[in-house]
Order: sequence, then C-alpha cells, then structure tokens
Amino acid sequence: MTPSLAQSSWLIPLYPLVGTLLTIPWSPAFIRRTGPRPSGYVNILATFVAFVHSVLALREVWGQLPQYLEIPWLSVAGLELTIPLEFSAMTLGALVLVTGLNLLAQIYAVAYLEMDWGWARFYALMALFEGGLCALVLCDSLFFAYMILEILTLGTYLLVGFWYNQSLVVTGARDAFLTKRVGDLVLLMGVLALYPLAGTWNFKELAQWAQTAQIDPTLATLLGIGLVAGPMSKCAQFPLHLWLDEAMEGALPSTILRNSVVVATGAWVLVKLEPVLALSPTACAFTIAIGAITALGGSLISIAQIDIKRVLSYLSSAYMGLVFVAVGAHQTHAALLLVLVYALAMAALLMGAGSIISNIITQDLTQMGGLWSRRPVTGLSFLAGAAGMVALPPLGGFWALLQLTDGLWSNNQAVLVGIVLTVNWLSAFSLARVFGLIFAGSKQQMTVRAPEPLWLLVLPMTLCAGFTLHLPMVLQALDMLPAWDLLNKDMALLLTWSSVLGAALGSVLYVGRMVKDPTKLVQSRVQNLLAYDFYTPRIYRNTIVLGVATLSRLTDWLDRYLVDGLVNFVGLASLFGGETLKYGNSGRFSFYGLTILSGVVLIGLFMSWHYLPLIMRTFVTF
Amino acid sequence: MHLEYFLLIAAALFCIGIYGLVTSRNVIRVLMSIELMLNAVNLNLMAFSNYLDPANVTGQVFSVFVITIAAAEAAVGLAIVLSIYRNRDTVDMEQFNLLKW
Repeated sequence: MTPSLAQSSWLIPLYPLVGTLLTIPWSPAFIRRTGPRPSGYVNILATFVAFVHSVLALREVWGQLPQYLEIPWLSVAGLELTIPLEFSAMTLGALVLVTGLNLLAQIYAVAYLEMDWGWARFYALMALFEGGLCALVLCDSLFFAYMILEILTLGTYLLVGFWYNQSLVVTGARDAFLTKRVGDLVLLMGVLALYPLAGTWNFKELAQWAQTAQIDPTLATLLGIGLVAGPMSKCAQFPLHLWLDEAMEGALPSTILRNSVVVATGAWVLVKLEPVLALSPTACAFTIAIGAITALGGSLISIAQIDIKRVLSYLSSAYMGLVFVAVGAHQTHAALLLVLVYALAMAALLMGAGSIISNIITQDLTQMGGLWSRRPVTGLSFLAGAAGMVALPPLGGFWALLQLTDGLWSNNQAVLVGIVLTVNWLSAFSLARVFGLIFAGSKQQMTVRAPEPLWLLVLPMTLCAGFTLHLPMVLQALDMLPAWDLLNKDMALLLTWSSVLGAALGSVLYVGRMVKDPTKLVQSRVQNLLAYDFYTPRIYRNTIVLGVATLSRLTDWLDRYLVDGLVNFVGLASLFGGETLKYGNSGRFSFYGLTILSGVVLIGLFMSWHYLPLIMRTFVTF
Repeated sequence: MHLEYFLLIAAALFCIGIYGLVTSRNVIRVLMSIELMLNAVNLNLMAFSNYLDPANVTGQVFSVFVITIAAAEAAVGLAIVLSIYRNRDTVDMEQFNLLKW
C-alpha cells in the first residue's frame, strides 16, 4: 500500500468524468455501426476503478487524521479561491457509498436499458453525476459545493429529460431544473452574504468562526434561512418538493441514483453548514419545521399514491425531512448515519421497484398483485430495503432513528420525537401497503406472466439488499453504532412498536386483504388531497407561476407599447410632421410671396421691437 | 410738406403692390404689381434723398439703378411668362402649381 493513495483521492472524481468523455463517440451520431453498448461498459469500468480507489484510500485513512489538499483555482485582487479537499474517513466513506451505488446502478442499467439506443447520453450523464457527487463530497468549501450543486442541477435537467419525446418528461425536467435552481439561487445569496461575515468559505474554518461569532440575530436568521433554502430544494422539501415527483418520469436507473444519493447532496451540505445554522435558533427552528412538515406530508402522500415510483419518491422527501429535523436539532452524527442507511435501503427498494416495472410494464399499483410466488428474489430484496428503512431493531434504520429520537428526547423535544415516531409509523404502513399491493393478493391481468428479469438486474438488486442487511454489522465493526448502554431503551421500544404497528396495519389491510376495499376507509376528499399531493401543482400555478407570468406579460406589454412606443412616437411624429408640413409648399407663387412678406414683417417687428413705442409716439404726435 | 407723407404714400403704394402680387391670377398683373412695389421703393429713395441728403443725392442715383434693373427684370419676367405660355397655353397663376408637395 503506497501512502499516496489517499493523497491521490482527488483523482476519484476524474475517473467518471473521463468515462463521460469516452462515451461521447458512441452516441448515435458518431459511431453508427456498433451500437451504444461499449459506452456503458467503459463507464462501468471507470466507476469500478473509482470504487476500488476509494475503498483502498478509505482503508488507508481509517483511524488517521484527515489530510487536506489545496488546489489554487483563481487569484484576483482581494480574493483567493483555492479548492480545498478533505481526505478523511468520513469523506472517503461517502465516496465508497457513492461510487458503490453508482456501480450497482450502472450495472442495473445495462439490463434495464437493454432495449434503448441512448446509452451514450445516459451513461455520460450518470458518470457526470458520479463525478459531481464525488467532487462535492471531497471538496471542503461552501463556494465549490455550490458550484457543484449547480452543475448537478443541470445534470438533473438533462437526465430527467432523457426520453425527451414524452411531453411529461419535458415538463418534469423543466420543473426539476427550475425548482432546484430557485433553491440554488437563494443558497447563492446566503453564500455571498457569508463571505463578508466569516471571511472564508471553508467548512472547517466556518465552523471555527461560528463558535465565536457575534452577529446580529436577524442577520443570522436570514443567513441561516438562505443557506437552508438550497438544501431545501435539493432534498425535495416542502414547498419545493414537486420536482422529485415529476422527476419520476426519468429512466429508472437514474432514479435509483437520484433518490438514494443525489437528494442527499443537499443533506450533506446542510450537515456541513450545521455550525453556521446553529448561530440562529430561528433558522434551526425553521429547518426543523420544514423537515417535520415534509416528513409528515411526504409519508402521508406516499400512502395515497398508486404509482410505485411516486410512493418511493415521497418517502425520499420524508426521510430527507427527518435529516432536516436531525440537523436542525444539532444532531449531525444522527443525520449522517440516517443518510447512509437511507441511501442503501432506498436503492434496494427502487431496484426492486424497477425489477417489477421492467417486465410488467405498468407502474400502477392497483393493477399489480400476486407476484410473491414467482418473484421471490425481488420480493425479498424489497422487504430487505423496507426493513432497512424503517426502525426494525437489528437493521440500520433502527439505529439511525434511535440515535435521532434519543437525542431529541434528551433535548426535551418531545413533539419532534412524536413526529419521528409518526413518520416511522406512516412509512412502515406505506411500505407494507406497497409490498402487499405488488406481491400479495390475486394475480391481475398485468401480472399474470411475470418472470424474474435478467441476472444483470437481479445481481445489483440482491447486492444492495445484502448491503442493507449487513450494514449494522459493518457499522458495528467500525464502531460507528451509538453505544447501546447510553441509549434510551424506551425509545428503542417505542420505535420498534411504531414500525411493527405500521407494518402490521399495512399488512392486515393489503397483504392479508382483510378489508375488501381499504380506500373506503378514508374520506374521499382527504384521499384526493393526499393523492394529488395537496394539489401542489395548482398551488404553484396560482401563486408563483401566476405572479411571474403576469409580471412578465406586464413587462412585455410595457416594453412593447410604452418603451418601444415612445421611440416609435418620435419617429412617427417626424413622419407625420413632414407629411403635414409639405402642404406648406402649395405650388402657388402668390402664397410664397405672402410667406416672404409675412417673414419680412415679423422679422421687422422683432428687430424694431424696442423702437416701436418711439415710432408710435411719433405717429401720435404727428 | 413732410418726409413722412412721402413715406406713407410709398408704403401705401407698396402695400397695394403686395396685394396685387398676392391676389392676381394673371401673370402679367403680377409683374405689374412688382413694378408698383419697385416704384414705391423709388419714391422712398427719392424722398430720403431730397430731405436727408440734398447735397450728395445718393438716393437719386440709387433710384436710377433701380429703374434700369426693374426694366431688365420686367423684360426677363415677360420672357419667362411667354415661355410658360408657350408650353401651357395659359397665363393663369392658379394653373402653375405643379411644384407643390
């Protein structure tokens, strides 16, 4: 093991970027004869190299002090921008997660996109995402984190808009871009406002600054809210959550990546900004409120969805909401653990969902059913993911949520504990419902013939499920689990009970099918409210979109008629003046004579104005 | 006799000339009106010469020049009228409005 492996970790984001460039020749415009497959293989190779590199580097830095590397980027008068990179166990661990999940998702895509010709574009964008995520994780500066977030926003736009001949894809990509962009822009305001205060954008120096900083509370609040707004849109938090729902129009392998990792980018930045947020209790309360509302709303909405991908996308929002709650309550360790656990479990769930969709075509849960006997591997992976996500004792979700609730309880935030428990209960119910609707009950027309898919699709899915199941052991071995003795056993019991109750209720209703039509249990108005996502599109359309559209129309009108009109009026007035005044040339000699005479008389009067009284007097005396 | 009377007479004659110049439809009458105006000017010159500068009679010399120039101008004017008449067969001023707007 050469000691330079960790030091050369900055290469890791470059492998996938090289992969991105190498895919370009296989786009249909260039190499027409061989088909697009080599582009995928090249990318998988690049990702594999990145993965191996990050694993080896992680082994090297494990238990060591973090190493830093600074790359100068721009130096102008008064501003030195260097790219600080941090190679610590945490960042390299995150790299392993990112590259590992990418490797799995890319292998998955080989099977999933078998009948698609757009591999070059797809893999190039996946690799761009991977490179961006790796760079974000490594880079230790808010400014460059912002830059990468913006690049990833563009990447989201392109990746969601992969099948751009579908109209819903186009609108979904548009919303994903604009919504994330709004958050990014507010984040930029926060980033720019932070520099004069702290004098640095390095997360580490920001944390040191925040410990002793004395700034105006209102300023701190505004700053905190500005900094939260970016992650808010990235993590699909209320009210900027619609884009994740619409981003489900994209190809499924990219969805795996997006839901498990990309939405976590915001959480990563938020966790790193926690010391700055801690300056203002109001900003922390805001973060908690947003997170709690999203967690409750997202899990409720996910229960009422009939599209399998959308069920999972709202659960993504909900779990990111829990991360927000954790960060707002200053529990960064719990937040990071939750992100790690969530990423693996959600990837397993989405891979299971994709395995279902890939050969029964429909995504409508109401048209599925009875797949357990013939899709056991998918079913088990799905179960593993579901169990890993909610708080079931031996698995990862339990530990992360336990640490969170424990911290909340010891901070006397009982309401938040209640919210976390409720969200856990609702998520367990939602996952049990999805499982029941897909795998239990009788076969329906769409699910009559449904074999397990290609091995390339099953392999990453089972690997992901395996990782989810092994995560607690890995964490145990790495000493990353919270100490059992110090934890609140009552909380553990409560969490377990909430998941068991949720799952049990879901199972009774949807696996056991005890009630004939569970949709009758809730008022249809409430049901519609949740199914249509609190009518968020309508809210957007009637507030922001309406306002901006009206304003644009008004501005356009003003420009077209007032500004243009004024200038055109000058031109028109000269034209009209010329058209009218030409009639002064009457073509009659006598008229010209009269004009000359009038001119002479007027000029004479003007020149003799002073003498007129004199002349008058002369005439009077005479 | 005062200078003013002569000046007033001359001004009146000039105004009559102007009136004729502006209102006449016949080109010949226009030329005649111009002659009237020139004569009014001559009257002015003579009156000033008589009352203000009897020694040098500069004004009388001026008016001699004006009369000669007026004769030449009338000749040229009549020639122009004749050439227009040959082309357009009329001497009506109202018909000569080709160069309007």
